[in-house]
Amino acid sequence: MIYLFQVLNGIGLGMLYFLLAVGLSVIFGLLQFVNFAHGAFYLLGAYLTYDLTMRGFSFWAAMPLATLIVAGIAALIEALLLHRIYKLPHTFHILVTVGLALVVQELVIIAWGPLGGSVPAPEGLQGVVILGDFIYPQYRLFTIGFTAVLAGLLWWLLEGTRLGAIVRGGSELPSNMALLGYNTLRINTAVFGFGAGLAGLAGALAAPIRGVEPFMGIEALSVAFVVVVIGGMGSYTGALVAGLLVGVVQSVMTTLWPEGARLMIYVGMALVIALMPRGLLGRA
Amino acid sequence: MLNRRRFLTTSTLAAASLAAPGLVTRALAQGEALKIGVPVPISGAFAANGKFATIGALLAAEEVAAAHGVQVSTLDLDTEGKPATAVRKVQDALAQDGVKLFAGGILSSESLAMGKEVERGGGAFMTTAGADEITGVDCNRATFRWSVPTYGAINETVRPIIDALPDAKKWYTITPQYVFGDGLLNAAKDVFQEKGIEHVGNSYHSLTDKEFSGYLTNAIAAQPDVLLLLNFGAQSSDTLRQAVSFGLKQRMTIVVAWASGLEQFEALGPDICEGVYFGAQYWHGADSALNRELVAKVQEKHGFNPNYSFAGSYICSKLLLEAAVKAGSPDGAGIAAALNGLKYQGLTGEEEIRAADHQVIKDYYLLKGKAKADMADKDDYAEIISAGKSFLSPEDAGCAMPA
Repeated sequence: MIYLFQVLNGIGLGMLYFLLAVGLSVIFGLLQFVNFAHGAFYLLGAYLTYDLTMRGFSFWAAMPLATLIVAGIAALIEALLLHRIYKLPHTFHILVTVGLALVVQELVIIAWGPLGGSVPAPEGLQGVVILGDFIYPQYRLFTIGFTAVLAGLLWWLLEGTRLGAIVRGGSELPSNMALLGYNTLRINTAVFGFGAGLAGLAGALAAPIRGVEPFMGIEALSVAFVVVVIGGMGSYTGALVAGLLVGVVQSVMTTLWPEGARLMIYVGMALVIALMPRGLLGRA
Repeated sequence: MLNRRRFLTTSTLAAASLAAPGLVTRALAQGEALKIGVPVPISGAFAANGKFATIGALLAAEEVAAAHGVQVSTLDLDTEGKPATAVRKVQDALAQDGVKLFAGGILSSESLAMGKEVERGGGAFMTTAGADEITGVDCNRATFRWSVPTYGAINETVRPIIDALPDAKKWYTITPQYVFGDGLLNAAKDVFQEKGIEHVGNSYHSLTDKEFSGYLTNAIAAQPDVLLLLNFGAQSSDTLRQAVSFGLKQRMTIVVAWASGLEQFEALGPDICEGVYFGAQYWHGADSALNRELVAKVQEKHGFNPNYSFAGSYICSKLLLEAAVKAGSPDGAGIAAALNGLKYQGLTGEEEIRAADHQVIKDYYLLKGKAKADMADKDDYAEIISAGKSFLSPEDAGCAMPA
């Protein structure tokens, strides 16, 4: 029975990991850009939610507001700075975005202090669901459902709409898209803001579960990379499958071998790199 | 920021009072310089603790400079909470900056490693880390410890709760897998055995874990009466926050054996802390002369109440610097001679440095989180339930101090 609940808990974790990783995957897949500042946008989303709720906003208002603000900031950074380095080797992407992440982290400490804080779960979701001897927080159940709906919407947006086709076209055949009259620079900015906004949303959703502290972005970045590497760089479905896989493995391992639970997700990543270098569902 | 390395110099050459505190006789010549390294995690999971520690050390440096007319500078060394990094930073400070005094080491693993390094370098090191080994089997001439070790922390938290809750017979533990966590766990198991408590399970976790829902599910399955958290800093905050979200506060008593003090209460907020028991090395509301003085000074200078990270670093730095003034040198042998057996009025009341193992004998507190409505001010998060001194003898701790 306990394993069943660990699987359920792992699905909850996995959906958060998916949301965290999918933005990174979208940015890499469409822009071929390695974004080490992704965790910083997650951090910013969490802190903005914390700040807004402290100012009296409800969580339901704070979450979308924080997401939009993060997306806007990211789009601005892309338009002013990052688009200049797209054509440079990946090492430059890493250098600039790591620097950006450190700047964001220090700005968070200056703005909100080094201690961190707690964000209460929204009214109506503060209780628990009791199933026999087991308990699960209502808010975590909500994140599973919310992220599942969001995952479906994202897939539809990217694969089933004209907007998604333009975005994919901008990435794969930018010169053709320019000939068709599309402004690929703006498309890239929008894609980057969208991907970073997803990280901000993940941060906003995670805040009532994890609280906020200035170094949460680093941990989030490492989990996002594990998920993206396992799922395959640029693969939307890969991010979903890998997010769930990582969440479930981590959760179940806390019962089977607690001290190795976190280690196992990195072992899993190493195995995937060794056996399937493009990831489970990566593009050839 | 990674690799941050700041040199904070206080050149508070005292025009001010040279009226030294009673325990010090001023032997360093006026204007002579003292340097103290502050090796603490300024980045990584324990960075918040490290950042307060650096300010605490700086205040001590300013006070000693003002009181004795010597130049004192602090050198912040970011250990990142990693023993290898800590050792490298200490080696560099010894070799390149000529630093002999070190006050820091928040994690036991880094403190154990740094203590050995400082001993090799002929300096002196005082820490707040918890593992029994620091002043036990791994004690050495250079290493002193202000905090109560894991044995005392467990005895001053678990015992009073067992006495207060005689029907709570089943306890579950969540433990970080390193020397500090094992120290707390072993001490807890000894008390459980002695008191007839059933230890219904333990979940080990790594030092990098942030997600504790899986471990909490294990705890729920074991149906304990008490959940005893043996982790520290942000990890114990994360565990407690997630435990409360799982509704465990309504189903069992929760005890955090080694809280990091006020900073932890601030990060968690009163709703989470209410009704939870916390073991604490220091509390700003403790009734001692030095503590009242420190609280007033920090309030005036920084506008906040000192927390454990601040206070621990302050007192360690102050003791080392005043010992160096008294000895006329920062060399380890002179510092040890000045500190061994020293009795003084400290932050927790009367404190004494035991010569046989360099352990400070001081109080450990059991706190209980207050409801928000009962808080007298914004930092009045907890009431002190009890305080006491529990220490293994140097022989039982396994310390054979080298001659």
